[in-house]
Amino acid sequence: MKKLMNEPDGYVDELLEGLCAAHPSLVAHERVVRHIDAPRQGKVGVVSGGGSGHLPLFTGYVGTGLLDACAIGDVFAGPSVQACVGAIKASHGGKGVLRLYGNYGGDRMNFDMAGELLEAEDISTTTVLGTDDIASAKPAEKDKRRGVAGIIYAYKCAGAAAATGADLKETTRIAQKAVDSARTIGCALAPCQIPGAAAATFAIANDEIEMGMGIHGEPGIWRDKLKPADAIATEMMDRLFAELPAGGKRVSVLVNGLGATPLEELFIIYRKVEKMLDAAGLQIAQPLVGNYATSMEMAGLSITLVALDAEIERLLAAPANCPFWKV
Amino acid sequence: MALTSEHVAAAVRRAAGRLREIEAQISEADAALGDGDTGLMLRRLFDRLDAAGPMPSVDIGETFRALGLAGAGATGSSLGTLIVVALLHLSKATVGKREVAWVELSPLLDGALRAMMVRGKASLGDKTVLDPINAVARAISDKQLPAEIAAAAIAAGRSCLLEFRDRPCRVGRARMFADKSVGRDDPGQLAFVAILETICGG
Repeated sequence: MKKLMNEPDGYVDELLEGLCAAHPSLVAHERVVRHIDAPRQGKVGVVSGGGSGHLPLFTGYVGTGLLDACAIGDVFAGPSVQACVGAIKASHGGKGVLRLYGNYGGDRMNFDMAGELLEAEDISTTTVLGTDDIASAKPAEKDKRRGVAGIIYAYKCAGAAAATGADLKETTRIAQKAVDSARTIGCALAPCQIPGAAAATFAIANDEIEMGMGIHGEPGIWRDKLKPADAIATEMMDRLFAELPAGGKRVSVLVNGLGATPLEELFIIYRKVEKMLDAAGLQIAQPLVGNYATSMEMAGLSITLVALDAEIERLLAAPANCPFWKV
Repeated sequence: MALTSEHVAAAVRRAAGRLREIEAQISEADAALGDGDTGLMLRRLFDRLDAAGPMPSVDIGETFRALGLAGAGATGSSLGTLIVVALLHLSKATVGKREVAWVELSPLLDGALRAMMVRGKASLGDKTVLDPINAVARAISDKQLPAEIAAAAIAAGRSCLLEFRDRPCRVGRARMFADKSVGRDDPGQLAFVAILETICGG
């Protein structure tokens, strides 16, 4: 695959340099990106982290009313312990720090180790894991599910809560509630390749798609011939409906591009999604269509549904500003 | 004669050199079921470990600590982090010692293995780097001389790699392709044995 890059070893550091140069609200030190005003004294810190290759996830959500800092790893690799420690310290304003990241082995190990190291420095931390990918494990094993695009709703809600003075316990509750309210499913059309890697992350025929594939090429539910957009959207929505928490009448929806899929095609999908939600008697609040959590040049999309109640909807509507999302 | 900081530094240097040679081979093994970047990650990690030298202390625990901290800033991948966990465990187990008797090598390896299992939540038999480490720790447990330890370690590592080649992977991303993992070397096991051969081979 063709890539606009210099040496593979410099890929992450060079992208961070460019990102921060383009967005002066972000400050990078080694593999930690913090908001220029972080740490904010008297406010609970909200940090995330993960591998590079998913922009705007994770770094792009450092801002006001969102994340205070982020730990960055190599492409598709978790952030180092040192970066996790750095991000937590960079966001610690004396009221503790919420670690909010996707449910992946490397990320868990390193954030756990960072938390243990910082206990000696009297920094209280809590953890909420993003687990919104319904294709990654059955409902009975929800705690094994991966975190994908839906985690941005937890960023938004936890960030809004922390910005308005919630303590660590309350910010953590809100983040967990947002995670529990979100369900995502993905569909891949073409793979991506890690800079310097030996091959693409997976192989798929030109006329095939894989329903439920993860953002690193993890296997999905089925692989078959490409279908019309409406058929793909219908299956994805049916699978999400089957798992959506019952009761509410309002949802937020995110139609997310994985990197190489044109916005035009995302809106073709959204057209069908909107009709299906309407037919189900569900009202949409704050719809999002665009590239919010990508996988480099992977082609495809994900759809996230978030069951709203008054509290989550209020937090989603609260002011926020980062390089890729403004409310 | 016993294990010293100089031995550790030399081993890291040789491992780094070997990984530069086999980076593509390890990444290719990973590409079959994974992201295809394990060779790249290990080469970067060991370059950073190598650059952490010359070791600041004759205290072998301090040497392992310096390596562990260098690794902690260099990688966040699961395999890389487990290597960091092992180095930090070895540091705790040897702090204050200028040398470690060769007979202590097996229990030290075993301790590092246990620490990796706890942190990584993986078990023996899952077809990971843990299996050859366990095989080597067992094989050298009754050996006292460096030459016989080296020979036993290489034999055990190679034998383990062969034994696991036809088993399915049971953990991590490769577990999702368990059937396809049969007949393929786990990239972590492959890299460990290659490094072992380089360090112990003379």
